[in-house]
Amino acid sequence: MDKVEEITQKILEKFERHGVKVNKNEIKKRVDLLLNEFKVPEGEIIRTITNYLIREHGLPREILFERESSLVKIAEITKPGVWVSVKAKVAQLWDTTSPNVSQVGLIGDETGMIKFVIWAKSGKGEVEEGKSYLFKNVVTDSFQGRMQINVNRFSSIVELEEDVPLPPREVSIVGALVSIQQGSGLIQRCGVCGRAMIKESCPEHGKVESYDDLRIKGVLDDGESVYEIILNEENVKSLTGIGLEEAKKIAQEKLDRGAVLSELKSRLLGRYFKVTGTKGGRYILVKEVDFYKPELKEFKLLGEAI
Amino acid sequence: MIRRREVAKRVFAYELTRSTHVLQDENVKYALTPLGERVNRIFSVSVLLDKEEVRPDTNLWRIRLSDPTGVFYAYAGRFNSEAVEALLDLEPPVIVALVGKVRVFEGVTRKLVSVVPENLVEVESVVRDYWVLETAKTTLKRIEEMEKKEGEDVKLAWNIYNPNLEEYKSVVKQAVSLIREELEELEKEFEEEEEFEFEEEEWDLTELLED
Repeated sequence: MDKVEEITQKILEKFERHGVKVNKNEIKKRVDLLLNEFKVPEGEIIRTITNYLIREHGLPREILFERESSLVKIAEITKPGVWVSVKAKVAQLWDTTSPNVSQVGLIGDETGMIKFVIWAKSGKGEVEEGKSYLFKNVVTDSFQGRMQINVNRFSSIVELEEDVPLPPREVSIVGALVSIQQGSGLIQRCGVCGRAMIKESCPEHGKVESYDDLRIKGVLDDGESVYEIILNEENVKSLTGIGLEEAKKIAQEKLDRGAVLSELKSRLLGRYFKVTGTKGGRYILVKEVDFYKPELKEFKLLGEAI
Repeated sequence: MIRRREVAKRVFAYELTRSTHVLQDENVKYALTPLGERVNRIFSVSVLLDKEEVRPDTNLWRIRLSDPTGVFYAYAGRFNSEAVEALLDLEPPVIVALVGKVRVFEGVTRKLVSVVPENLVEVESVVRDYWVLETAKTTLKRIEEMEKKEGEDVKLAWNIYNPNLEEYKSVVKQAVSLIREELEELEKEFEEEEEFEFEEEEWDLTELLED
């Protein structure tokens, strides 16, 4: 089959799927012109002619974008710009300040949660909190370093009879603390909003009154997955005996707030912990935490198993 | 694309130092172990045996580490300032927890596997005990997968390394029994102490009765 015939077939198939009859010879002539005379790339030829035919026959433009987007689980969404379909429950609706956005919030399935945006332009109906839907033909996107899905006018939202379960909110993990991140140790919080300050300045309110707090942002790794955890003052104290008062004392003695972090790192990094907590977006907010120790019987059992 | 943080794999030195084949997936490099595991980052709890500056005043340090199955090297330089700082305070031999990236170098006669540390901390022996247990478990799981001969990486590992699985099993067994013996001795000491206290109490009691 020559190139002209091949491209013509591709275009024909597109329309036949929708039961639209188009004149093959006419398409062929146009393909030949664009390909051989004007040296237009194949993808552009298909697009140009499809566009033309849609206008000519007064067809819905969806044909252009129509594609089979595969049904995925939320945990599998890692790349932006992919057309997917997901079955998910609306967990939260957020207030939207933008007139361009009709609805925004969180949806989830048993593998995870993801932000969704229904653009006002999409003209799609509203979803309700607690109900499950099939979000068909939505586009994945990455916004401020996190994944989300966008509902556009080529998408559809179908309410489901079934109830899609959300991921378990409370998780329990045993893992090694492999990293303690920036913004850990003796930190300062903004007196107005309570956010952690960076270089004695609140990202929202600038240089204002502040108060001290103690926390650890760390990475727990069980050899199969990584979890970002936040240990608050109470957690840190129960593990190390260093609470806010003790931390302040260390900072005063050493004339260095960073000394607190060094001390905490030397006591916590590289150790195993059992952590119970709730998943709130990116971080696990820790309720209970303790050092994890093996028991002799575990070695006996394993020794016998080999 | 959002890059997910690479998981720190648990691999014994015996398997790690034989992982000379490099795989590249997008921008991430992995060493393929003889048991078919992709390793980019590792977490190891081993004994720091030795530290030396590669050349004087370079601030590039070569450290030698050992777990119950063998020895491996790590190199820390100015790009790993935290690890270097920690290193200066450590006097070998000590047990350390090491988080780091695996590197494979083309040596003169063969490929050499080493680790670039991100974190290096002195830890208690109980951490080492649990690491050995955990690493033994995951190594056994890998051996099982190798026996099934399914999966791309497993097949590749067979092709490249053709490992003797019995050898790996006995290495794991040795590591586990080493730690078990140590723990059993500790337990015995602990029990003896308890018995001693008990006898004392009994003695007190008889005295009371005689009165």
